Amino acid sequence: MATAAETERRSPVQALSAEFVDTFGNVLFAVSLLVVWGIMTLIGVLVDQGKDTSTYFNEYPPQLARAILRLGLDHIYHSYEYVGVIGLILTSIGVCTFKRVIPARLPPLRPVVVDKIPLHAFIEARGSEEEVKSRLERFLVKSGWQIRRKVFNGVEWTFADKHNWARRGVLVAHLGFVIIAAGTTLYWWKGYSGEVAILSGQTVEIPQNGDRLTVHSFNYTIKPTPTRGGLVYQPVDYVSDLTATSPGGAATHYLLRVNHPLEFDGIAYYQASYGYGVTFRLTQAGRPVAGVPSGPILEGDAFPVGPTGRSIQYTQFVGTIDPRAPSGIGADPRPFNPGVIVTVFDGSQPLGQEIVPLGRVAELGGGYALEPVSYRLYSGIQYRHDPGIPLVGLGALVLVAGVCVSFYLLPARLFVRLEGEGERWTVGLAAQTPKGYTMFEEQFAKLVVALQRSEEATAS
Amino acid sequence: MSQFVTIFYALAVACYAVGALALFAYFLWRAPWQSMLGIPFAIAGLVAQAGAIASEALATGWSPTSNLYDSLSLFVAFTVLLFLIFARQYRLWYLGGFVLLIGDFFLGYAGTWNEGYRPLVPSLQSYWLAIHVPTVVASYAAFMLAFCTSALYLIKYYLERSHAGGLELRSVGLQPATAVPGSGTMAMAALVADRTGHTVQDETPGLALAAAQGDKIAQWLMGIPSLAKLDVITYRIIAVGLPLLSLGIIMGAMWAKEAWGAYWQWDPKETAALFCWIIYLAYMHLHTRNQWRGVRCSWISVVGFAAVIFCYLGVNIWISGLHSYKV
Repeated sequence: MATAAETERRSPVQALSAEFVDTFGNVLFAVSLLVVWGIMTLIGVLVDQGKDTSTYFNEYPPQLARAILRLGLDHIYHSYEYVGVIGLILTSIGVCTFKRVIPARLPPLRPVVVDKIPLHAFIEARGSEEEVKSRLERFLVKSGWQIRRKVFNGVEWTFADKHNWARRGVLVAHLGFVIIAAGTTLYWWKGYSGEVAILSGQTVEIPQNGDRLTVHSFNYTIKPTPTRGGLVYQPVDYVSDLTATSPGGAATHYLLRVNHPLEFDGIAYYQASYGYGVTFRLTQAGRPVAGVPSGPILEGDAFPVGPTGRSIQYTQFVGTIDPRAPSGIGADPRPFNPGVIVTVFDGSQPLGQEIVPLGRVAELGGGYALEPVSYRLYSGIQYRHDPGIPLVGLGALVLVAGVCVSFYLLPARLFVRLEGEGERWTVGLAAQTPKGYTMFEEQFAKLVVALQRSEEATAS
Repeated sequence: MSQFVTIFYALAVACYAVGALALFAYFLWRAPWQSMLGIPFAIAGLVAQAGAIASEALATGWSPTSNLYDSLSLFVAFTVLLFLIFARQYRLWYLGGFVLLIGDFFLGYAGTWNEGYRPLVPSLQSYWLAIHVPTVVASYAAFMLAFCTSALYLIKYYLERSHAGGLELRSVGLQPATAVPGSGTMAMAALVADRTGHTVQDETPGLALAAAQGDKIAQWLMGIPSLAKLDVITYRIIAVGLPLLSLGIIMGAMWAKEAWGAYWQWDPKETAALFCWIIYLAYMHLHTRNQWRGVRCSWISVVGFAAVIFCYLGVNIWISGLHSYKV
């Protein structure tokens, strides 16, 4: 703390800097930032993230939905406020590290009033002063303490330190957090990711680096499994048989599965999803209508119904149409009696949905007829180039190491003084730690008991 | 093999129930035979649970951590295991009634999610299943134990406050001698007293006075460790839970990178775990300050466990995401 005179002598910049250091070096301020971070994170858990505007109006009362959208709570994790709070936490970590963590020291080597320190004990010892001292020091060294002797006003004190280096644990943990943040930033700066849906037999180019992926075939295994709740169709395997080719012509053939990504040309490719591409035929009065894609389209894609202003969206593939089921959709997702759910839109307004069996024609009115002709499996493949991963991994390792050191290794200092004369001595023993007395109580008790036993054994 | 799982499961539920009753009795009356009865039942329940988990692993061929039934069962086993370790170290047997009762409740609840064996979905077919889930669940178990000690701290603290009257109340850990005149020998008194089964009386003077005047509740409360000791025990348990949660989140990120293509997806489960981590991180930071140790930190531990339950069950059951493996 600066004195009033020092404060007066400061320039405005120095005063501002001191204020900044005082605020950001305060543990309570750091915890306040953690609280804000926690609350924002919780909001992100409770409020669906990254959905369409309509989803919020469907799920929440209109006032709440409007508030969510206006406040940007629908994408809170990527908001300036969220990133800003993390930035403030990193700043606080930096300031705390230099203001509190690095300067944290064990109490100085100085004479103390032993019985004024809460953790203290007096132990009787027999022998000459030098014998007792060397015995005591041997005991402490054997217990892992580092010994130093110092004389103050003609009185010799013994000081013993343990885990002095461990006070750097917090520093290491903070450093880990900063390294993780650096790794994440590196991804934002240099990394990229995306997802491509590739039909069996199709080749797709990755826009960011020009790699080409050819999916020769995609297969899945779904296993009907009886459970207490009924028959469940459990997916057990998804596999894409693909070839990846770099712009330079290097190629690799790979069976891509979940949990077994392909690392190629600096990018990791992942088996993410799958679906059914469907080819549609739209006719009016028996003649094909222009604007309908000739090949398969994916779920969510749409095409226009001639010049009517209406469009048809391929909404969902149905593996098994089951007229007995209330929705008409059977539980088995495999294409035994396949069909598609199509939604008709007038502009952006949905007019209605219908399940159309594959190979059947649905009359749309006005002479229009829609037929889902055939399906072809497609593989959803994610790709990601993340140069920050090594840093994030290193940061995580450093963070955990620092946390473990700071939690489990407690730096402590013992102050030891002998009082007495001739062959009868009293060993005064006091302990201090940077983390308070209660944290060291048990270890101190064990040390005292062990020392007492050692002295009793020597005496007997 | 499934009949073995059922038998072991039922045996564990029964053992924990008996153990909880016996240790509750010990909590109230402190007769040594009550703890001598409760502890073996707690151990027997844990052994039975280990049998159930091992039988299931043998029957299915994979780590029994793939659904809510499995993970809740593992959660209870870790809770009891951690309780036994900490109780042996800190003489916390009187807490066993609470721990086993809550454990038995969760084990019973786990049974309602047991749908039978199902093959693993592709994203769960990884060696991480046997590493990530047990690590996270073990951290939850530690936080539950910390919740129990914090709750006991708060009970003792608020009852002391109601008994204290005009007496000075010190709610937090031992203060330096310079700050509290006359407490110079308190710590050693505590050390000696703890070995003989008593507690530091001048920390809770109201209860000590009431106990001396024959107040049964006060006498009972004086038999449990000092507030300072409970605070340190809670800290030590959280010091087990927080590194486990950190490791669990990191391992989850490594698994996510293999399975989903990114180590962090902002999935509700991930962010809820991050929320819990932030709470316990705040606890650890505040515990470095004398003014915040004790009652305030105990409340944070209670709030932290509520967050853990929300993250564990609330997110799994009510919020859909990449971690929705309810059954």
